[in-house]
Amino acid sequence: MVFDVFFLQQVINGLSIGCVYALMAIGFTLIFGVLNVVNFAHGEVYTIGAFVGLMVITALAPPLLAVVPLVLAVGAVSGVGLERIAFRPFRRFTDEASQKSRAMREATLLSSLAVSIVTREIMMHIFGGDMQGIPSGYLLQQPVAIGPIMVASGSLVIFATSAVMLGALQFLLYRTQTGLGIRAVSNNQLGARYVGINTDRTIVTTFAVGSMLGATAGILVGLYDGAISPHMGFAPGVKAFVAMVMGGLSSIPGAVACALLLGVSESIATEFLSSGWKDLITYSLLVITLVFFPQGLFGHGRERA
Amino acid sequence: MPLDGAQASNTAVATRRILEVRDLTVRMGPQEILRGVSLDVAEGAIVAVLGANGVGKTTLMRALSGIYRTSGGATVFDGEDMTDSPSHEVVRRGLAQAPEGRQIFGTMTVRENLLLGGRTLRHDRAARMERMLELFPRLRERLTQKAGSLSGGEQQMLCIARALMSKPRLLLLDEPSLGLAPMVVKQIFDLLVQIRSEGTSILLVEQNARAALRVADHAYVMEAGRVTLSGSAADLAADPRVRAAYLGG
Repeated sequence: MVFDVFFLQQVINGLSIGCVYALMAIGFTLIFGVLNVVNFAHGEVYTIGAFVGLMVITALAPPLLAVVPLVLAVGAVSGVGLERIAFRPFRRFTDEASQKSRAMREATLLSSLAVSIVTREIMMHIFGGDMQGIPSGYLLQQPVAIGPIMVASGSLVIFATSAVMLGALQFLLYRTQTGLGIRAVSNNQLGARYVGINTDRTIVTTFAVGSMLGATAGILVGLYDGAISPHMGFAPGVKAFVAMVMGGLSSIPGAVACALLLGVSESIATEFLSSGWKDLITYSLLVITLVFFPQGLFGHGRERA
Repeated sequence: MPLDGAQASNTAVATRRILEVRDLTVRMGPQEILRGVSLDVAEGAIVAVLGANGVGKTTLMRALSGIYRTSGGATVFDGEDMTDSPSHEVVRRGLAQAPEGRQIFGTMTVRENLLLGGRTLRHDRAARMERMLELFPRLRERLTQKAGSLSGGEQQMLCIARALMSKPRLLLLDEPSLGLAPMVVKQIFDLLVQIRSEGTSILLVEQNARAALRVADHAYVMEAGRVTLSGSAADLAADPRVRAAYLGG
């Protein structure tokens, strides 16, 4: 019997992992939207979120709810810094030839990869490569019974936080001037300049927003798993990237749906396979999607993709 | 309108100039696309720039909107220097463009496109949109549709309405007739006269010289990055060189 209680629990675990991938995938998608470039340093923002969260917890022992706004702020600052260092220098060439040039896009992609590696090495240097434990008072691993199903409190916190952040994001994108600007720049950057949008400022804002989501995902996973390391951003970064590609590169709902799909598939797969095989599921899904749905599952044929 | 110093001397002239372009040059790599273009737009006028493909008309328009950087010369807008102002500054100061290729936001609704056009307005955005929908009633029926689903003529109207949303003092129009049926072209050009009567001067770039000269007060002819002829629209329409080259004899 497959549909037993244990199976349901695995689905719930998978959904909470999927939410984490989704928070990261949204950051990827937002940034890809305004720049048409993948931000390879996104995983490091996630790691930074977790480490700053841990440092604050060990130094000040604040209430858990106070950690979240702080991590949001750290995410915003690292996003803005990242844009300055890795992306802005390549945007001073504004003529048409460089904007359409492949070399320019690839240079930007590599510079974000470089920033990612440098950041990870610096964190390795400061914190060491080992796992750092989270103080037990902050762990989100208490079992909570919902009917016959036992769920870790961390899963519930992740669900709640993701729901709030997704709601806030929808509000930002569809109900505010800033969000209208972000969507306009994603849709048509030249058109955005003609209506008087300061595209540089919009891009910085997008980095800040995307990185806030990424950093929050990092601290949530840290509290849920109980340990963090400078490498922790890599695997979810790749998964989120896969979710973005499967979702069609520019679709936020698509990225979220695919992230949840990945999380649940991985979680269920561990029931049948040894956990070392779970990444195989992610990449198989990616390959299958790209072969049969080259525009992604939710893509609507972006002009320049 | 404050009448201090430099501006006072401007108003002393019978027709005040909303835009003055002096010896503007634009380079693209090794090529000089604009080689010293000078032109004026009088307040309340419709001015046309005519010329064949590739003579630099669109480059001129993009330079005026702050999309391209210039390599020489100056632009003065409403009595103040505007040379190489960034595009977002240009719109805020009252110069909006309905660009070549329309550049509308295809995945966003008509309504959102208009709101974006009016983002520099501090208040009265709703009233302004209402005015635009009176001017372009077709857009009202399409308000919640994606802009990309509109017909070519409707997209052109949206593009012009979006630019007008910011209540510009000067509207730049780059090839508004491109790819449109003659009926639609006539409709759009008739609207230009009405737009002007509401206090927006117009600088118009066109290959369709006949339609442009019909509504324009003044016109310039560009060849190879330079202005080679200028005069009142009536004079140019009668000029044998213009007739031969642009009006089909």
